[in-house]
Amino acid sequence: MSAETSNAPVGDVPAVPTEALTSESPPRPKPVPAELRLAVHDFMDEEAELLDERRFEEWLELFTDDVVYHAPVRITAKRGHREVIDEISHFDETKMSLGLRVRRLGTDVAWAEDPPSVTRRFVTNVKVGWGESSNEMTVRTYLLLYRTRGDRGTHDLLSCVRDDVLRVVPDSFRIARRRVVLDQAVLGTKNLAVFL
Amino acid sequence: MTIQMSQDNAIEQLKSTVCPEEGLISAAIHTDPEVYRLELERVFGRVWLFVAHESEIPEPGDFVVRDMGEQSVIVSHGDDGETRVLLNNCRHRGMKLACEDRGSGPSWRCPYHGFTYRNDGSFLGAPYQRFAYPEGLDKESLRLLGARCETYAGLIFATFNSSVEPLADFLGHMRWYIDILVGRAEFEVVGAPQRWIVPTAWKLPAENFASDAYHTVTTHAFLAKLGLVKGVDFGRRGFHVVPGGGHGLGIGVQDEGPWYPPELRAEYERNLSQEQLALMDRIKNFHGNVFPNLSFLIPNVIEYAGKRVTGMTIRQWQPIGPDKIQALSWHLVEKNAPEWWKELGRKVYVQTFGSSGMFEQDDTENWELQTRNSLSALSFAEPVMLNYKMGMGGEPLPDFPGPGDVYDGKYNEAAARGFYRRWLDLMTEAK
Repeated sequence: MSAETSNAPVGDVPAVPTEALTSESPPRPKPVPAELRLAVHDFMDEEAELLDERRFEEWLELFTDDVVYHAPVRITAKRGHREVIDEISHFDETKMSLGLRVRRLGTDVAWAEDPPSVTRRFVTNVKVGWGESSNEMTVRTYLLLYRTRGDRGTHDLLSCVRDDVLRVVPDSFRIARRRVVLDQAVLGTKNLAVFL
Repeated sequence: MTIQMSQDNAIEQLKSTVCPEEGLISAAIHTDPEVYRLELERVFGRVWLFVAHESEIPEPGDFVVRDMGEQSVIVSHGDDGETRVLLNNCRHRGMKLACEDRGSGPSWRCPYHGFTYRNDGSFLGAPYQRFAYPEGLDKESLRLLGARCETYAGLIFATFNSSVEPLADFLGHMRWYIDILVGRAEFEVVGAPQRWIVPTAWKLPAENFASDAYHTVTTHAFLAKLGLVKGVDFGRRGFHVVPGGGHGLGIGVQDEGPWYPPELRAEYERNLSQEQLALMDRIKNFHGNVFPNLSFLIPNVIEYAGKRVTGMTIRQWQPIGPDKIQALSWHLVEKNAPEWWKELGRKVYVQTFGSSGMFEQDDTENWELQTRNSLSALSFAEPVMLNYKMGMGGEPLPDFPGPGDVYDGKYNEAAARGFYRRWLDLMTEAK
């Protein structure tokens, strides 16, 4: 990817009403204006579509170069005890490592996903807020990932919550941070060859 | 047919269709339910099984819940400082005591009737005990059933077999190599194991880690395509080790010198012999299996964020039925390593192995479909025999510094033949 293109809209990602954001001076209105929330919704839907259509190169463009993308491990614990172990993750990614995964999927020897899984990502319960800095938004989404492959009519369901930080770029967003917490302590899928 | 008859039948079948020395092994052994039932009793019930790393239960009161075969156990660091492995099973009605993955505390209280046990396994009391049991309770008979428990290089093993040899003897020649793996320094588990379900028979991944460098050429062909490793030889150069006892390993070598942070060298020198250290410095990758189901791996060093790094893992292929396992994958790192090594090592581990690992994904694909085909082999009148002949008739090196039969070059299946020999001996010995 080149630096010139990295801020341009990707795929069908819609333009963002950035005038609502460019003002440097707080207070920022609460709740977040409907128009902006809608733009975030659309962005998340577009992201899911890129993945489900296996347009991984374009998907990768949705992340900032300094993205931190991680999916910590969950354990089963008694009430009041830590259930999410941040020290170790199912994904522990940078833009570089996500790029490696995408490049791998682009080879003709990525057996685990060739033939590919058919996936359908259901993105719901979208909660949009203001980020820490004036050009950032936060968005929490629930993701239900349906994955089916092979000849047995079976499927895996992966359910998780994602906490993202979106950075505003001209006419769009980029994902600067993603923390995914899967609901299963023991994953009911044979590999995480799919992105969350 | 009675259970005894079907068991005898299965054992006779095994004797004629599992022929490790001929390099022929029946595909059906992976999914035959009768074979699996026997395995729980004769393999998992008879040998030492890995249960935890010491760093997972550092403080008195800490415990983790694990499985031995299909039995749930509590691995407990008692208030008295002793490590015990206790059946996770209340002595009153057999209810599970600890339902969490890990925790800390002085005692466990059964959720059913409230029988309570100290973390050394002794019975502490029951609710309204004097009214419920006015005649008194024999506390000693209510002690939690304990397994024998021994530790080697921070790895905690246990067995419910009271007549098994000491752990050191069970590991035998494998100890020399385990020293290199986790005895070279103080190691710690990072966080907790990743866990996921793989629809495979448990022996397939165990055999793969013990013996199979050859699959990397094809299964992990993407490695060459992405240019992650310089001079990809797919593990041809190195050594294939058959330490005996069903254990096995492969050691890839390189001549570019030590790959680990120099800060760690002094600690390695304290813990390893000259010969072990010399081998350590040449390691390119290091994979193996401690019989039956504890595998380990130091993956190929790769260029990552401008550094040469690798991220070590140990794992357990925990059977949950004949054709399904829970994979537990721990990442371990030297406790005294510099921070950059810890961070990059963790990232490389997650990228390459474990639940999302780029290598692991393709392995699970193979194991699942081998298992499926094994199921179909069950219905054939004639056994479907698989070929394990690579390296047969080869002579071990006369002068390798480490113990066991060590072959030059990693393309060999001698360790797999050793794995199935040990397995067959256990399966066919009445007691």
